[in-house]
Amino acid sequence: ATLPDILYRPVIYCIIQNLDFQDKEKKKKESIFDLSTYIDKHIRVKFQGGREASGVLKGFDPLLNLVLDGTIEYMRDPDDQYKLTEDTRQLGLVVCRGTSVVLICPQDGMEAIPNPFIQQQDG
Amino acid sequence: MAAIASTNPSQLLPLELVDKCIGSRIHIVMKNDKEIVGTLLGFDDFLFLCVSEITPEGRRITKLDQILLNGNNITMLIPGGEGPEV
Repeated sequence: ATLPDILYRPVIYCIIQNLDFQDKEKKKKESIFDLSTYIDKHIRVKFQGGREASGVLKGFDPLLNLVLDGTIEYMRDPDDQYKLTEDTRQLGLVVCRGTSVVLICPQDGMEAIPNPFIQQQDG
Repeated sequence: MAAIASTNPSQLLPLELVDKCIGSRIHIVMKNDKEIVGTLLGFDDFLFLCVSEITPEGRRITKLDQILLNGNNITMLIPGGEGPEV
């Protein structure tokens, strides 16, 4: 390495770091999903650990903490799988921790369909 | 975070609801099968303080005095909850 290379290298690192800093300043907490359209609607929420709950969305924050009213909690057992009528609890007004929310979807507009992935053996 | 939270003034903020619950009973559901019932003493963005503990799996109730609960594993908070069929 020649002498100019050694001198230029720290300068380049500084420029790159400054660019990163500007990017972080501009990149505020932009939500990719607007939950205000779901306010006062019935939604289903799935959590890390297998719990599911549904209720009326009353509030939320950018960290995805939710306030649900009239909450029903479903627990998943080995033989439960999709039988959500087992082990339901009425919880009422509930705060859901955003760090453990994995899925939010509307309660309506879903129906069970026959398994499309089963291979036919007729060949 | 505070600037974007004011999307709709008539909605209920989650941390506001938890804040209202300070000093009264709260029921905390963890990611696993543990649940905690007690009096909420305070919280910050990550942690909570409670009083007594209930484990519904073997119906084992462990009474603790004051605990500092790590918010990492919390799934739900139910103000005024009494726990599972206490």
